[in-house]
Amino acid sequence: MLHDFAYAAPTAREELFSLMAEHGTAAAVLSGGTDLLVNIRSGIARPDYIINLKGVSELAELSFDAGQGLSIGACVTVTKLLADATVRQKYPLLVSAASQLATHQLRNRATIVGNIVTASPCGDMSSPLLCYGAEVELASASGTRTVTLQEFITGVKKTVIKPDEIVQRIIVPTTYVGGRGNYLKLKRIKGHDLGVVSVAMLTYGTKIRVAIGSAAPTPLLLSEFPIDASAETIKQAARAAISPIDDVRCTKEYRAFMVEEFIERLLAEVHA
Amino acid sequence: MRKIRLRINGDLYERDVRESKTLLHFLREDAGLTGTKEGCGAGECGACTVFMNGETVNSCLVLAVEADGAELQTIEGETAEDGSLSAVQQAFARHHAVQCGFCTPGMIMTVKDLLQRKPKPTREQIIHGIESNFCRCTGYQQIVEAVLDVTGQLPDSDKEGLKYV
Repeated sequence: MLHDFAYAAPTAREELFSLMAEHGTAAAVLSGGTDLLVNIRSGIARPDYIINLKGVSELAELSFDAGQGLSIGACVTVTKLLADATVRQKYPLLVSAASQLATHQLRNRATIVGNIVTASPCGDMSSPLLCYGAEVELASASGTRTVTLQEFITGVKKTVIKPDEIVQRIIVPTTYVGGRGNYLKLKRIKGHDLGVVSVAMLTYGTKIRVAIGSAAPTPLLLSEFPIDASAETIKQAARAAISPIDDVRCTKEYRAFMVEEFIERLLAEVHA
Repeated sequence: MRKIRLRINGDLYERDVRESKTLLHFLREDAGLTGTKEGCGAGECGACTVFMNGETVNSCLVLAVEADGAELQTIEGETAEDGSLSAVQQAFARHHAVQCGFCTPGMIMTVKDLLQRKPKPTREQIIHGIESNFCRCTGYQQIVEAVLDVTGQLPDSDKEGLKYV
């Protein structure tokens, strides 16, 4: 049983923002619900008011523009991203990570935006989006503002989002379109699991971009490497950047070890 | 309370529900369709899997009010009006892919969805396809065999006897 709350499903942005301004921190926005309903059930979240975003049709848009890049609206599910031919062609690293995110049922509901708003260190979409230089567009009654994904996530489950704001979309620029990428995720079992540690690698032209999940309070984007960088160079930069912890899923030593192992495997794919 | 209208297995339901009620509890308590089970209640185990507008969802993670206007299919819709079982259900029975039975309704929904997307899945695709659903009894082997059978991928010699019992 969930605690009682009021519910609204606005169909227009104006209505959505006025509800958010009115209810402030007492309200929670609902899109996929795969984190929110779990948190309500376990008592971590206790909103008095739930505002379902899915009635606002423009928030479900997934589109590509040669100038601006890929626009992923707040209600775009993981399944919708995976089914998109343009995404599959231009952003293979997003596809690699999205296909490893949770289960088919959860991918049918969970959203890409929700994955980064939750801001878990192990969120599967954060590292690949960091590699692509993604930006986050926040919106409220008073307008919109854009921050980089690096600026957006500030700590474990912490972001710069304000109580009256939503993330209305993620923008993935075209800078690295044409690049190759892969995402490796360590799990405790072969089936679906949260990432124990993960590494995303994107090669574009003469550059290699690397991001790491579950090895620090936030997902980490390393500084760019030249395409002929040795595994040792990248591993050294990773060692300096990560601050893994022991937890129920893994020890910090194993996390650190697997980050380096994944870097070697991904780099071997690049040079294959 | 809010009024919702939705179609379940072709039948129209119109009910007043609490905003905080999950779709799973609506199915079991309001619609009286207790075939769908609650396992973990947190999207981990897949026991509550149903079809919503053609896609499988964990009904424990959907609010009933979100399903207003939706088309649902549950395990009750698998069986024909005369009580005869669907091909997937028959294959599960033939291969003893059911032990305690708690995961079975969700598992069958997941298999049905898998077969819509991949009509002839390989063993690996079946294993990957049912990763969303926990079964603590069978060890999954009989379930995989049932799916191979219903898709015509088991030699006749493998269909005889109860190999894994």
